[in-house]
Amino acid sequence: MRESIRLEVPAAVTALPTLRMVLGGLAVHLDFSLEELEDLSLAATELLRAALDSEGLESWSVEMAVVDEALHVVLGPYRSPELRGRLQTAPGGPLCLDLCRLIGSTVDSFAVEDDGDGFMVRLVKGRRQA
Amino acid sequence: MTPRDDRRASDPLDLEGLPGQPRRFHDDEDDAEAAPSVPAHAGRGRDESEKLDQYLLRRYHLHGDRKAREQLITMYLPLVRSLARRYASRGEHFDDLVQVGAIGLIKAIDRFDLSRGVELTTYATPNIVGEIKRYFRDKGWSVRVPRGLQELNIRLNKVIDELVPKLQRSPTINELAEAASATPEEVLEALETSQAYNSISLQASPNSEGGDEDAGLIDYLGGPEAAYETMEDRTTLAPGFAKLDARERYILHLRFFEGLTQSQIAERVGISQMHVSRLIRRSLEKLREEIGDLDHPGVSSVSGEQ
Repeated sequence: MRESIRLEVPAAVTALPTLRMVLGGLAVHLDFSLEELEDLSLAATELLRAALDSEGLESWSVEMAVVDEALHVVLGPYRSPELRGRLQTAPGGPLCLDLCRLIGSTVDSFAVEDDGDGFMVRLVKGRRQA
Repeated sequence: MTPRDDRRASDPLDLEGLPGQPRRFHDDEDDAEAAPSVPAHAGRGRDESEKLDQYLLRRYHLHGDRKAREQLITMYLPLVRSLARRYASRGEHFDDLVQVGAIGLIKAIDRFDLSRGVELTTYATPNIVGEIKRYFRDKGWSVRVPRGLQELNIRLNKVIDELVPKLQRSPTINELAEAASATPEEVLEALETSQAYNSISLQASPNSEGGDEDAGLIDYLGGPEAAYETMEDRTTLAPGFAKLDARERYILHLRFFEGLTQSQIAERVGISQMHVSRLIRRSLEKLREEIGDLDHPGVSSVSGEQ
């Protein structure tokens, strides 16, 4: 069964708690650990903040879905080549903490997917087996 | 060899080559005092302990002996822990309270007046308690959070600390809800509101009254960890990371470069998972404030490599 929620909220940090709460609700269904939820929230939050900086957005669009025991968070569409570059470029160095590394080390996988003129970013996090 | 040289040769606390300027509150008349032979309070009688305190306080205040100061801090940390424990049920993390209490202890040691003839314990206790109380006073909810959620948050901190070692992993939201007698939704809400909680920065200067303004609180706490130092060896203090203390840099390194989980970091560093989580969030926030975003060229490296 696919369970998904699509949200459109004002692009402002004050909307982040709402997004995190919804994310948390879905994470409960998957019996995520606190740490897994925090990791996914961190990745989504950092990406949204980066998008806010590079896109000049008025609203954030986020779709969250439970797919095959994993939580998928799809953000976008975005158009900024700069943001795309930051997400697709390998980390700036072996010891460079950039957006790419931060997201890569908090979710199981993430991908930049073409969408018309722009692109979507998909974050995937599954529950670690005990 | 002069009598003075002779004394130094037998002195377990070598004055030579120590950094820092001596703080001379009095004349050097007690210089001839012999060092008590046992370097800690454990197993000592009250008189002997007091003698050792006085000896170390003189070494520090009359000679600027930083090692004597460090020894006093180490000796009195159990007192700080004992006092911090009294306040641990108020929802603050015990480790945080110990750190704050340690600031009170350091202030007491630094401000101790040898001429007043009081024991260090007597002088330090109100300083430590005062610092902890000030911490509670200064620390508040930055947004209005219902009392019930604040209480649940306090309960959750406790429950998480209990469950992590028991389960040997991070608890699930459902497990937290069950242990805290709350619903998962309430747990999520309480966890989210905890992000609205203010905390004093451990980077803040502990002494705005003429102390070392550049030193953060963290610089005054505990001895150097070998692992932190190893990390330091590989770290170029680029502008962003220079704002983080050694422990914060170490934790970011473990999390984002070594790939350790928060629980694993907690175990390695010796703090709780919630504390690691808060430190990571706070460190990223600091970086963001400092450099705007995490990809600002040249400032996001935790090593010399760019």
